[in-house]
Amino acid sequence: MSDFAGMEDLLQDFLQEASDLLSDVDNKLVELEKMPDDRALLNDIFRGFHTVKGGAGFLNAAELVTLCHLTENLFDRLRNGELELTAGLMDVIMDATKGVREMFGELGQMVQPQPADPGVIAALKGVLSGDAAAAAAKAAEVPPAVADTPKTPGPVPGEPDWNLLHAAVTGAAAPVTSDPAVVITKAETAMVESVVTPVVVAPEGAGAASPFGRRAVDKPGGQPVSARRVEERVRENTIRVDTSRLDQVLNLSGEIGLTKNRLTSLRADILAGKSDSETLHALDQAVSQLDLLVSDLQNSVMKTRMQPIGRLFQKYPRIARDLARQLGKDVELVLAGEETEVDKTMIEDLADPLIHLIRNAVDHGVEMPEERLAAGKPVKSLVRLEARQEGDHIVLIIADDGKGMNAERIRAKAIEKGLISEEDANTLDERQSLNLIFLPGFSLKAQISDVSGRGVGMDVVKTNIQKLNGSIEIRSEPGKGSVFIISLPLTLAILPVLLVLLGDQPFALPLSLVREILPIEQSKVQEVGGRETLVVRGEVLPVITLARLLGWPLERYPEYGVFMQTAERSFILAVDSFAGRDDAVIKSLEDFRPKGVAGVTTLSNGQIVLILDMKELLADLGQHAEVGSGKRALDFA
Amino acid sequence: MAADPKMKFLVVDDFSTMRRIVRNLLKELGFTNVDEAEDGAIALQKLQAGGFEFVVTDWNMPNMDGLTLLQSIRATPHLKHLPVLMITAEAKKENIIAAAQSGASGYIVKPFTAGTLSEKLNKIFEKMGQA
Repeated sequence: MSDFAGMEDLLQDFLQEASDLLSDVDNKLVELEKMPDDRALLNDIFRGFHTVKGGAGFLNAAELVTLCHLTENLFDRLRNGELELTAGLMDVIMDATKGVREMFGELGQMVQPQPADPGVIAALKGVLSGDAAAAAAKAAEVPPAVADTPKTPGPVPGEPDWNLLHAAVTGAAAPVTSDPAVVITKAETAMVESVVTPVVVAPEGAGAASPFGRRAVDKPGGQPVSARRVEERVRENTIRVDTSRLDQVLNLSGEIGLTKNRLTSLRADILAGKSDSETLHALDQAVSQLDLLVSDLQNSVMKTRMQPIGRLFQKYPRIARDLARQLGKDVELVLAGEETEVDKTMIEDLADPLIHLIRNAVDHGVEMPEERLAAGKPVKSLVRLEARQEGDHIVLIIADDGKGMNAERIRAKAIEKGLISEEDANTLDERQSLNLIFLPGFSLKAQISDVSGRGVGMDVVKTNIQKLNGSIEIRSEPGKGSVFIISLPLTLAILPVLLVLLGDQPFALPLSLVREILPIEQSKVQEVGGRETLVVRGEVLPVITLARLLGWPLERYPEYGVFMQTAERSFILAVDSFAGRDDAVIKSLEDFRPKGVAGVTTLSNGQIVLILDMKELLADLGQHAEVGSGKRALDFA
Repeated sequence: MAADPKMKFLVVDDFSTMRRIVRNLLKELGFTNVDEAEDGAIALQKLQAGGFEFVVTDWNMPNMDGLTLLQSIRATPHLKHLPVLMITAEAKKENIIAAAQSGASGYIVKPFTAGTLSEKLNKIFEKMGQA
């Protein structure tokens, strides 16, 4: 039984909204460090905790209410100038924020949060009460709120009687007085009275059954810990969609309905033998309209899955800041292009690789302050995280202004770790050398810090990006910094493909891998080291015939080459001819998956076409034709 | 005084979860004619357009907070009669006094139940009936 029976929807809404709010608070905290006196920032952060507290109250999440309440009070003092923001205080605040996030995690598993770390609570209370003693004049009104609320989170059992108070303040029934102190005393008396003789204690009937109400018997945190079920946190499976986008989908499906009606009536006419030019013209029109509407609908449905990547980005400045502090570095993470929209699944799958790249930039890329000064750079380092759409691709950039990567050192390290042979290393150019960091087991750091020693390496980053049909590229300039460029397709649902022909048989290749198409003149094909190669603008590229990859007999020498670029290598795939390009909707072959086939798609004429998985096919080739083992494959990276 | 179930409410809060909670509680009490606003400024715009008979507003909001909204309502001739119920997370006396002085019709502290809300509303309806 979850702690939130009957409130699941409310809880989900709360978590989604409150998490966004907390990320926003996190970013504002990072900004606050730069501008500790910014009242607007202090106000916003105050309001963030305040709002979370309010919502948490309705969920009976007492521990969350307590933590937020204390933090909120702290910010109240900060914004009123009663406290000053020190580095120590900032740490307390950061810990509190972390505590709130952890509680969100527990709520996500449908259990009431455990009490916050006593250290954090003690620190918060210490700061608050220490100040109260100093500001004795103001202490009279603040400490009760601080002291009381932790014990009775949520509602004060009997709140002030409004009528009495109203009367006291406006003087309607009470004796009129010009001394405000007396008024307050009156008000206080009223409050005390109402506490002593509670007006509303336990809501009866409807109140108790209310899904949002506080049930007197259901004391949060009251159950034994053992009774709590620790559930696997389910992947977020709801999505927030702009209503105007949903309206568009609705509108289009309505239009399609109308067009379908038109077609139904035309079918009746045609079946009845009507085939005059007017009928045919109407049919042509209806079909064209349907064509347009369906592609509009596909686009609109796809758009409902698109989310601004800012939702993912906003978590990172805090992570970068914490890490930089831990390492004694001064780093600012600058975000750009947060409004760029990316498929929701992709956003989720990008979270880990991006964290890794940012940590990497802060840990490995950025130098220590002394080094930066010595190199004549500003102490503060800028790490840039940027997203933008380029044509049908999303490009993500993680750039640092650190020390850059030394190709020579990377080569030496890779040899030392036995990842490549010395001969191989010598054939690598700068760019290829940088790519060595994507090999499993590669690490430049002599000792593994807890930053990079989490068992996730650059190889995992690369694998994750490739799973999304994306690619990753490194550019680096020693002394100036490094740039990681991730390129991703807009969506995973539709795959733009190039249709190539082998004899009469069409095959589909993911268009994202295709750089260009060129004719192959057999006379220009040269054998180098037992492999067929072709020189394209000075670059020597291996030629691989599709027929051979598939194990088909080579009937005639292929006339065309497709210049393809996967993450590991560039090569020319030799084919007989082309049948055009298409936007394939991939259907996976669930129980039967031949090697090298990613799935199938249906062409407009109803023909079924295999979509080739180049990576798998090439891996196969590596074994049989000895074109190169995994390591040697880097030759043509 | 029995309240008209068709009475049109405006629920003002920057936290949509909270607006939903209040809306649900109102629905439980039989009030289904509810519109929402994200902050005081938007609320004021909606109120200016007319048609509302009751305002339930949060205190702490960006752009325009609940107290300013209340003051603006009271300062606007064709709105000043509107009942305004303030919601806050605090039972701080200075807040309550400020609300009362600005002419709030009632004050309710988070979290609350449908029962509490109903009681507050009835008190306000009673007063309106007397007036």
